[in-house]
Amino acid sequence: MIIMVSVAFLNPLSVEAEQIVRDMGDLSKIYEQNPDLIHAVDTSKSQTISDNQSIPKNYYELAIKRMEWYIKKKNDKNYNYKDYAFLFNPEISKFDVVAFFILAQAIGIKFNPNSRESKLFVDLQGSIIEERLEELSISERRNICGKILDELIQHDNIKWTFLEEILSSKKLSLHELILDNGDIILDKEDFLERFRDKITHRNPERMYELLIGDPVKELIMIKMIMQKTEDYIKKVNEMSQKVEPHPYLLEVGEKISKILSDNLRYYTTYQGEMKGFRLNPEAFPPCIKLTLNGVQSGNRNDAIVLLLTSFLSYSRLYPSIFRDNVSVKVSDVDPDLKITQNEILPLIYEAAQRCNPPLFDDDPQEKLNITAKLGFGVHEQPELKNEGESKWYTPMSCDKIKIHLPALCKPDKTCKKIGNPLSYYKTKSWQLSQQRKNKEQKSYNNKNPNNNKSKTYKSGDRAENSDPTKSGDDDSIGSDSH
Amino acid sequence: MILLEVIPINEPATLQERRKYYREEWDVKKLPDFIKDHMEKREFGFDHLGKGPNDRYRIFRSLEYLKRFMRYKSPFAAYCSVAFYDKPFKRADWIKSELIFDVDAKDIPIRTCQCENVCEICLGEAKEIVSALIDTLKEDLGLKDIYIVYSGRGYHIRVLDETVMKMDSDIRAQILKYLVGSEVPRSEYSTKGDKYQLEHFSIPFGYPKVFTQRFKYAVLHLTPEIKLENISPALFKKVLNNKKYLLNNEWGLFRKNVGPINYKKLVKEISNLNMGLVDAKVSIDLKRILRLPTSLHSKVSMKCMEVKNIEKFDPFKEAVPKFVYERKD
Repeated sequence: MIIMVSVAFLNPLSVEAEQIVRDMGDLSKIYEQNPDLIHAVDTSKSQTISDNQSIPKNYYELAIKRMEWYIKKKNDKNYNYKDYAFLFNPEISKFDVVAFFILAQAIGIKFNPNSRESKLFVDLQGSIIEERLEELSISERRNICGKILDELIQHDNIKWTFLEEILSSKKLSLHELILDNGDIILDKEDFLERFRDKITHRNPERMYELLIGDPVKELIMIKMIMQKTEDYIKKVNEMSQKVEPHPYLLEVGEKISKILSDNLRYYTTYQGEMKGFRLNPEAFPPCIKLTLNGVQSGNRNDAIVLLLTSFLSYSRLYPSIFRDNVSVKVSDVDPDLKITQNEILPLIYEAAQRCNPPLFDDDPQEKLNITAKLGFGVHEQPELKNEGESKWYTPMSCDKIKIHLPALCKPDKTCKKIGNPLSYYKTKSWQLSQQRKNKEQKSYNNKNPNNNKSKTYKSGDRAENSDPTKSGDDDSIGSDSH
Repeated sequence: MILLEVIPINEPATLQERRKYYREEWDVKKLPDFIKDHMEKREFGFDHLGKGPNDRYRIFRSLEYLKRFMRYKSPFAAYCSVAFYDKPFKRADWIKSELIFDVDAKDIPIRTCQCENVCEICLGEAKEIVSALIDTLKEDLGLKDIYIVYSGRGYHIRVLDETVMKMDSDIRAQILKYLVGSEVPRSEYSTKGDKYQLEHFSIPFGYPKVFTQRFKYAVLHLTPEIKLENISPALFKKVLNNKKYLLNNEWGLFRKNVGPINYKKLVKEISNLNMGLVDAKVSIDLKRILRLPTSLHSKVSMKCMEVKNIEKFDPFKEAVPKFVYERKD
């Protein structure tokens, strides 16, 4: 039997989806067993049904399964598609829409719009649409994408400035779009009308298929839905300040929080309590060393606020961010913010005052920006209650440093192999620890000429034995400081 | 080159010359309208001693105040913010910022003149680049409210379309990369599972067209004296020997003679170099101050001025202050 895919299956913020939510009534049903949902899951193609745990029985469980699917898919080597095949069965559409709203509202109420929980949910939505599209035939994909875009873009020509937020968040790049006179060209007829005469030696229709066709349309559709999801969370968050949230949604929020913390413990390289790593200034890249010495006016604000703040906080608290691909917040590693307040901030503030002229003398408000870049919103000092009001910024890439802060980019030999100051730090730390170990080994051998066995390192040294440029445990930044 | 030798510009203006300029030649009414409109929302900054603009956070509520200030202080350099604020005296409560592209003749990555500072040749090349950038701003991005200012050593493109003025640094960086052609364009496309090779020069619109134009400009301006960091001398020679094909847009022949793998390397190298066509920091900085049009660039003794017609503009005729001619006398 062929099941027509509904718009709501891909866009839970469509008019059709809104109607589904309205029909559902109130939130009291979210824990009630739902035979229709169970049936839809049971009859999904390839679905594992031998394990009862795999089958969501109500809206709440479906919502949690959605989160679980994304986390497992992203991090778990043993992820099995068959455990979650129901998520790609169009028959679950109406249940899925409700589950989406339960999650979006719970996240909007419990967490800040820039929190890792919100980000994860938005990414989840993008990823689920991509996979759902994969399951469809070419004509179904084209048809549904056309319908959704028609609803999302309500005028004939869409200006590139309309996608400002998506472009700014780098979900999409300007050069990936075909632009003409400010318009993004998506429609075939429009494309042919504008460019047919310019195209020589090629079939214009074929060119349309290659350059724009379905992939660009789908990309724009997905990014727009992701953006709308983000906007929806923001709206819920604002509303929750004024209206008492439903207790069920608070419970779901708690559950999400627990799932993510468990996931973090399980999937990061730490495999235990995260404590951070003592800083090794010897391993800092040239741009950071220059920044710590104080920067001249012109580069000063960006160097301190954008570069140094993120570099020091991540290298001290979570240097594996780029490798683990797991969202971490400052308080996961520094629960009482003592490291941040007693170690990281003083280093940043001192470097700021070494600038010429001293940064805070000139721009006292930059202290607020530093707090914001650590993920604690625009406040004088980081406080737990404000965490997630802004993003914890990762250090800018070397490419970006070349643009923003060319005067600080003085590459050395190690710089050639890396693309981010944090990767430099990890590589260099590993190299330094290897050098130190070789030296120790040599001196040990000299003192014990009859003993040719290698020195056995204690378990605490484990992290120093691996090359961060290779796979394996690369927590090579010395031991933790607690 | 002749004019540069005859008229002693590139020599700093003395305090007397600055006073003469601001009291006799400068006219506050000649400030461009885009500066005069809502001038009170902009932050002004001044460099009085030639050591950098450290007199900041100034505001002017009327042209008359600015006139008096300039005549009295005759600053070494005058600047005003690209940003509009509710509290410009604190650089606080940002409203919006112009989108700026700063093309400095002495920093163009490929200069045929190889001069130490700036000369007619590199200023001419800066002009060519500015024209190309403006074409893309208009034709691709559909922007209209665009002004050109001769800065004294190059050009500022100032975009005041409301649609872009509230944009953040990240999106400005994307616009910049699109404009200068610093992203390597895709050459592989796929449809219905099949892959196709399509080089940028076969696509006469969108970003591939922009990249093709910038690439062509770069290659045609290469001279034997220029060195490209990641291009071997043998490949560089090949490129020079074959660049004639690009004059007639014979891209296929150029690519074939250079070799497809080498061509890829060259594309990468030129996309990197293109980033230097404009000063990226200026474009992404929302709170930058920029040389005030009509003010004096005292270091080189030239006027910073709005350019109405870039094709006809000759800085050595129009931007030389009177006192420079008197120097010769």
